[in-house]
Amino acid sequence: MSDMDIDHDPSEAQATVEAGQPENQAEKDELEHLFDMDDDSEFMKEVNNPWMPSSKPSGLSSNADDIAGDIHQQLMLYYRHFFPFKPFFQWLNYDPSAKPSKSFLNREICWTLMDDTFIRFQSYRNIDELKQDMVRLNPAKFDLGAIYNIRPKDRHMVRPAAFIPVSKEMVFDIDMTDYDEIRTCCSGADVCKKCWEFMTVAMKIIDVAMRDDFGFKHILWVYSGRRGIHCWIADERARKLNNEQRKAIVSYMEVIKGGTQQGKKVKLPNVLHPSLARSYETVDHHFRNIAFESQEILTKPENWEKMLSVIPDEDVQAQIRRQWESAPTRAPALKWNELKDIIGEEIAEHPGKRQLLENIPRDIMFQYTYPRLDDKVSININHLLKSPFCIHPKTGRVCVPIQIEHCEDFDPMSPPTVPKLVQELNEYDTTHPSPSEGEAKLQDWQKTSLREHVEYFEKFLKGLSREIREKKRVDGASSKSLDF
Amino acid sequence: MFTQQNRKSRQLLASGIKSTYDDELYPTRLNFYREPPPLEISIEEFEQFALDRMQVLQALLTAQMRNLTPEQLDKAVGEAIKKYMPMSPNTKGSSATHRQLMEERRKDHISHFILRLAYSRSQELRSWFLRAECALFRYRFEKEMLKDQLEFLEKQNLSWKKVSDEDKRLLREKLKASSFKAGNIDEETYFEVDFERVAGLVGRRQVYIQAGKAFVRLSDQVVLVLDEFKERLSHALEVTGRALPRMDEDDRLMPVLNNINKQYLGREFTTSAIAGEIQAGDVDSLKVHMPLCMEHLHDELRREKHTRHGGRMQYGLFLKGIGLSLEQALLFWQMAFEKLTPDQFNKQYAYNVRHSYGMEGKRTDYTPYSCKSIIMNNAPGPGDHHGCPFRHFSAPNLRAQLAAHNVDEFDTDDIIHKVQQRHYQIACTRYYEVTRAKMVGISAENVKGGLSDSTAGMIASQEVIEHPNQFFEQSYLLMKSKNGETGDGTSSAAGAGAAGGMDGLIASAPLDATVRGRYTYKKAGASISSNVQHDIDM
Repeated sequence: MSDMDIDHDPSEAQATVEAGQPENQAEKDELEHLFDMDDDSEFMKEVNNPWMPSSKPSGLSSNADDIAGDIHQQLMLYYRHFFPFKPFFQWLNYDPSAKPSKSFLNREICWTLMDDTFIRFQSYRNIDELKQDMVRLNPAKFDLGAIYNIRPKDRHMVRPAAFIPVSKEMVFDIDMTDYDEIRTCCSGADVCKKCWEFMTVAMKIIDVAMRDDFGFKHILWVYSGRRGIHCWIADERARKLNNEQRKAIVSYMEVIKGGTQQGKKVKLPNVLHPSLARSYETVDHHFRNIAFESQEILTKPENWEKMLSVIPDEDVQAQIRRQWESAPTRAPALKWNELKDIIGEEIAEHPGKRQLLENIPRDIMFQYTYPRLDDKVSININHLLKSPFCIHPKTGRVCVPIQIEHCEDFDPMSPPTVPKLVQELNEYDTTHPSPSEGEAKLQDWQKTSLREHVEYFEKFLKGLSREIREKKRVDGASSKSLDF
Repeated sequence: MFTQQNRKSRQLLASGIKSTYDDELYPTRLNFYREPPPLEISIEEFEQFALDRMQVLQALLTAQMRNLTPEQLDKAVGEAIKKYMPMSPNTKGSSATHRQLMEERRKDHISHFILRLAYSRSQELRSWFLRAECALFRYRFEKEMLKDQLEFLEKQNLSWKKVSDEDKRLLREKLKASSFKAGNIDEETYFEVDFERVAGLVGRRQVYIQAGKAFVRLSDQVVLVLDEFKERLSHALEVTGRALPRMDEDDRLMPVLNNINKQYLGREFTTSAIAGEIQAGDVDSLKVHMPLCMEHLHDELRREKHTRHGGRMQYGLFLKGIGLSLEQALLFWQMAFEKLTPDQFNKQYAYNVRHSYGMEGKRTDYTPYSCKSIIMNNAPGPGDHHGCPFRHFSAPNLRAQLAAHNVDEFDTDDIIHKVQQRHYQIACTRYYEVTRAKMVGISAENVKGGLSDSTAGMIASQEVIEHPNQFFEQSYLLMKSKNGETGDGTSSAAGAGAAGGMDGLIASAPLDATVRGRYTYKKAGASISSNVQHDIDM
């Protein structure tokens, strides 16, 4: 406890992190974002506390009654019984041996306590120490930061400039709030099956680009517990990327740009880059369902007006508007064709407008479907991101990995909550007598629905450790040959 | 000559190299600066060379900051190079004699190493120098004849893997779609490199990548060369930085070096030590002097009772720049976020306000963002209101904003036209001229014509808007002088709101002192770049 920094703001740590030698003013500014305090909706309105029996969480309320009781007690139960420490350690260690490696020893862990106190720059000598602190502090959640050149707890022993982040997974953070301007089914913290499709599209597009274009193999998608998803790319090559290279990947992926005052947020060349051409197939596949069905973009005038504002020609806007208003109940697919036809006719009449209008339907499709990234999280190597297998403090759900092969089937309402896990554990223990001598004792999480999620995580780890072992073998061989 | 006594410093500068310069040393104008310069130089040369190189680097960076067209940039930079550090090509027709050629290259070589010493002291200096030298190297590389480029590259032993014809055939369509500049794929030479090495091309989607490999065209090789250059220089700077303490005992070079690196770290608006004269309650009345970007942020803050991070940084630092003290800033933001309880505010936002005043964390005293930084960095995303209206608003929205500020149709078209040419700062300057002319009651034509009327002259003589705080201060001073002229403290032609706001302000003498002090400071900093100013098409 003695060397622990307690501060009522996460950015305390910026002090030291910033000393990690920002390269220019822009980067310095971006460091301000180390923690996203911009979860605006949370501060704009009072969010009900799902932990109190009397209140229900906003949205996702179907099983709010399950999440009752004392939060402290629930978290305590979760950390003691369910949190999968062993695989978690194996991941952070990036070394198949049980001996803690630099990756584990020098990794920053940041605890967020129930009273919003952040404790940054914690690091541990082994997983038991980490577990002790987790159980003792009983945090509402915790984040993973970068792996530094020295142990984060020892950072005061060197001058600030000598405390440097050296590696971290390449991460993506996609939050539903960034879709609020095109989302009509829910807003803010709420999420439903309909808008979850945006997340499905994001996972599909980013995952394939990371694999095919950048050659990454060890990619873990994680549900953020409420309305978003996180992506952890754990390949050694990804962990070693510097900020500039991370930024390059982000802007390679980024298509939606511009603030509230900019109608058209997609600017793409006539010929799409091969990567975008591939993404376009996914966009095309989902656009109809999103715009025509689930988000009702072409059903209600207030929604279609937003779409029309994307068209950079007021004449054309007016023509389409007239057409749609003349028969507002016409099927959305027909309306979409009308939009394309009117644009086509306009180009035929005024060839000078070709460049301006030609790709508008395509760009609208991108604007209404393509992933929206929180770039700050990805770009800064020392940015924090909530760890997998946390409990989301607002919904009570476990932040479980999402099986990318079946991402279409993922239901954000389905991940277990602590009360559910407790119930499952009790049920299991009553129906299964305790194992006799010699029989393997099951971990508690193995007796619950958390099991499939942890097992998927272990599968991800297996691929990773195979590669690490292979690399060790090669390195070992080459270093031997140098040994004379 | 700096000789015997300064052995140590000379060793840093030149360590055991042969003592003549010849073709072998400088076969082309391009130089990776791998070896320190071999010769002794006089202390006078030492300083002069360094200052001349600074002029060139500064001119180049300034020109790049200004959204100039390639031709304008070329002209601006070309003039500086010609004046301070001419570098003749190898071309036969060149008037330079062989000796001249070598002298020029020697100066280039030496001045680079002097600045390397001067700029290796801190991370901030190093990164400025790295940026400047990379820009210069790139500029020169692109200017070089293909033949000399290739000759230079051959000498550097860079190991890049060529893509076979077979692979090129297989990837033909993808390679074509990856670059709008791609010509005949079969005739083009491609290199296969790790994508990490061409981050810039990747970020702009101008290169095809597959399984982590980037396929780079020969004509894009400047990126690769630059990457090599940057990596080596960056490493060398670190090494020099570590070796530097050994030089501290040298009382002849250190003052010169320190003097060099203090002179040019770009022009920045800093808050003066006596900032703190403006009260939180004054901000609304000062709105009339704000540039569009800040006015917009202010209006949205009032409307939403909240501003997201990007907006808080941009607007908060701007307010700091016009003299809002930390205490008043905390008051201002807390009152603005009226939906939050004081506790919520303190938990979520107060820290960041204190942080930007250098009172927390690393205690960096942040300076307000320049136009360049607002235009280039951190573009607004959904829900954001920061950024530059001329850069980040759609044309209809910008038109609406201009109309709301009584900009007539003719001027609006003019401004939109400049925006379309991507001259955002010039568009903002035009907006300044038009609106300020209305405020003081003269026609914009007079402003442009630079009439003898001192007020008109004041508007006309102003430079391109490069900084939101410059906009504010010019506007403020303009109104002050106009009001001084009419004597009654109220401009008859100014809008009622503007005039009302001004009355109280003019009376506030300390504020005026603050503003004037900083304005002078900025002027001094600007003189170095004045030769570039008039190249901007107004």
